[in-house]
Amino acid sequence: MTDLHDKLERAFNPRSVAVVGDKRAMGYMWLNSMKTFQGKVYSVQISKDEIPGIEAMNIPNYASLLDIPDEVDYVVCAVRRDISPRIVADCARKGVRAVTLFASGFAETEQEEGVRLQRELGELARESGLPLIGPNCMGIYNPRLGLRQSPDQPAGEAGNVGFISQSGTHCINFSHLGYVHGIRCSKAVSFGNAEVLDAADYLEYMTDDPETQVIGMYIEGPKDARRFFAALRRACGRKPVVVWKGGQTEAGNRAIFSHTAALASEVRIWDAAIRQAGAICVDNLEEMVDVVKGLLYIKPGTGKRVGLIAMTGGQSVVIADAFGQASLEVPVLSPASYEKLASFFNIIGGSYHNPLDAGGTLAMGFRLDNFRRMLDILDEEPNVDAIAIETAVTFLAGRRYLSSNLLNNLLRLLSEHKERSHKPFLMILQAGHLEGGMAKIRGKVLARGIATFGSFHQGANALAKVIAYHRFRDGSENA
Amino acid sequence: MSSVDIIDRAKNEGRTVLTEVESKLILEEAGIPTARAQLAASRDETIAAAKQLGFPVVLKIVSPGISHKSDVGGVRLNLRSAEEVGAAFDEIVAAARKAEPKAKIEGVSVQKMASPGVEVIMGMTKDAQFGPVLMFGLGGVFVEVLKDVAFRIVPLEPRDARQMIREIQGFPVLQGFRGQEPADLAALEGMLLRLSAFVEDHPEIAELDLNPVFAYKDGALAVDARIVLG
Repeated sequence: MTDLHDKLERAFNPRSVAVVGDKRAMGYMWLNSMKTFQGKVYSVQISKDEIPGIEAMNIPNYASLLDIPDEVDYVVCAVRRDISPRIVADCARKGVRAVTLFASGFAETEQEEGVRLQRELGELARESGLPLIGPNCMGIYNPRLGLRQSPDQPAGEAGNVGFISQSGTHCINFSHLGYVHGIRCSKAVSFGNAEVLDAADYLEYMTDDPETQVIGMYIEGPKDARRFFAALRRACGRKPVVVWKGGQTEAGNRAIFSHTAALASEVRIWDAAIRQAGAICVDNLEEMVDVVKGLLYIKPGTGKRVGLIAMTGGQSVVIADAFGQASLEVPVLSPASYEKLASFFNIIGGSYHNPLDAGGTLAMGFRLDNFRRMLDILDEEPNVDAIAIETAVTFLAGRRYLSSNLLNNLLRLLSEHKERSHKPFLMILQAGHLEGGMAKIRGKVLARGIATFGSFHQGANALAKVIAYHRFRDGSENA
Repeated sequence: MSSVDIIDRAKNEGRTVLTEVESKLILEEAGIPTARAQLAASRDETIAAAKQLGFPVVLKIVSPGISHKSDVGGVRLNLRSAEEVGAAFDEIVAAARKAEPKAKIEGVSVQKMASPGVEVIMGMTKDAQFGPVLMFGLGGVFVEVLKDVAFRIVPLEPRDARQMIREIQGFPVLQGFRGQEPADLAALEGMLLRLSAFVEDHPEIAELDLNPVFAYKDGALAVDARIVLG
C-alpha cells in the first residue's frame, strides 16, 4: 500500500478531529456534525464572538492548531478563502493526516484571485505531502465513527457502500436517501475542486478498502481522465462501481474533419468509458440509489428472463411492459408450470400466463399458501431466471392488513423464498396515496433483505443493470 | 513510400489532411486491408491504371484541398471501359475545379470497384479528456442520420472490440438480415484491434475515418480512408 493510502486510511478513520473557524452564523454546523464522532473533537477559533458558543458545547477551543496538546488526524478548515493558506501551513506543521477545505471562492469562480489562492494551497499541500481534500467541499463521512458532513446525517451504523462525489450536496443527499432505502455507507467523501487529491485517488482508496463492497460516484470531470479510467477499470475488477456523470465541459473549438470527431460528444465518450471499464452508468440520484440497492439486495444472476406476479389485470400489463422494455425478457412458462398453476389458479378475473395475474388467487395477499406455491413454481421454472412481484399494499392498507400480523407473515414468506431461491428476486412497492406510511413498510421489507422499488420501471431498470453488471463480470454479455 | 515518409512529406508541405492514396498506403503498412488506390495524374495514366487493375473501377479526385470528395462531384463508381474512364476523368477534374478553384489537383485515384458488402464505418478521434478513442458503426444512413455508433477508449482489449460491434442498434444487419450473408465479425474485431495498436503507435495522427469499410462473409476491406494529422 502506498503512503497516500495509509494517510487516507487514517483520515477516513480518524481518532481525533479539529474544526477550524466554525461560526455561530452557520449554526456551528461543523462542530454539531461532529457531536456523534467517537474520537476527540477540538475547535480552533480566535474570534471572541464565536468562542462562548463553542465552549457552551463543551468542546475545547484553541487559538491555533499548533496549541492542541494532542495528535490531530483530520482537520475541517472552515475559514475564509484568504486565510486558508495559513491554516493549511499549520496542518502541515502539526502533521495532520488530511485536511478538508470547506471554503469556496477558489478556481470554480474562474477568477484570478480564486485560481491563484487555490494554486497556492495546492503547492503548500504538495510540498509537505499533506492530503488536501477540496477546496469547496464537505470532506469525509464515516457513519460508523460518527464523523459527518452535516448535523443530521445518519450516524452510528457501519455500512458497506462507499460514495465518492465531486458535489457536497449529492454526497449528503445520497447518505440520506440511501439510508431510507436500506443503504448504509462505509465511507463517503465530497472532494470539490480536487486541487490535490482527485477522483482517482479516492477511487483507489475505496477499491482497497475491505469495508467497502459497492462504490457509487458522482463525477463532473476528473483532472486526468486517463488515470481516472485506469483506476475505474481496476476498481471494477474488484467490486461493482456505479457512476453518475454530471454536467458537460465546453467542447474545444478545433476544426473537425472526420465523421468520427463530429460524433464524439462528451456524453458518448463518457458512456463508452464507463461501460468499457465495467462500471454501471446512472443518470440521477434516484437511479443511483435504485441500482446500489439492487446490487446489495438482489442475488447475482445473468439470465434475462423474468417471471412476474401482479395483483390485477392492469398491473399485469404494465409490469410486463416495464420489464420487457428494460432489456429484459418476459418469457412464456413451460407446460409443466402451467399444469401446476391450473390446479389452483382462480382464472375468474385472473390469468396464469407470465405475468401471473394473481390477485384473485391470492385474495390480494391473504392466501399466503397460494403465494408460496406460485413462487415455488417460478423458482423451479426453467424458462425463468429472475422473479419480480407486485404487492397490493395500498389495497391492503384499507383493511388494516399492514398493521396486523399478516404483513409479518407475508414478509416471512418472502424472505424464506429469497433464502431458498438462487434466482434474483425483487418486490415492487408502489406508495400510491400512502407515501407517509410507505417508508415504514419499505423499511420492514428491506430489513428482511428483500429489494423493493417504488415503481415497475425503477425495479425493471435496477434489475436490468444488476444483471448487465453480472453478465459483464462473467463475460456472458454478448452471448 | 513508407508511412514515415508520407507523414514527413505532408508535414513539409504544411498539410494536415492526407490524401486517400497516402492514407491507404499507411493503413496497409499497419496491416489494415484497404482497396488499394493508385494515383494517376493524367487522363492517359488513368486509363492505363484502369486497364491494369481490371474493370470495373472507381475514380476519385485527389486533392489535398478537398476532403469531402463526393460533395464536389469528385467520385465516379462502376466504370466499365476505357471510354467511360476517360470521360469520367474529365468530368471529375472539371467538377472539382469548379467547386474548389484554389485547390491543387494532383489527379485521381483509381481503384478496382470493390464487390459490395455491408457498409460499416470505423474511425478515431482524440477526446479532450480521454485521448484517442475508436468509433464503430454501420455506414450510410445509420451513421449519418441515426448516429448509431459505439466508442471505446484506446487501447482496446479484444472484449472491447467484440462489445462495441454488438452494442450498436443496427447489429442484426451484420448478422445477416433478410437473407444477406452474415458479416465476418472476427475480421471486423481484428481490424478494430489493429487500428487501436496503429493509433497508439502514431500519436501524430489526430483523426481517422475508414468510411466505408465493406464487411464480407470472409474478411473486410476499407474502401475509403482519410487520415488527419495533429
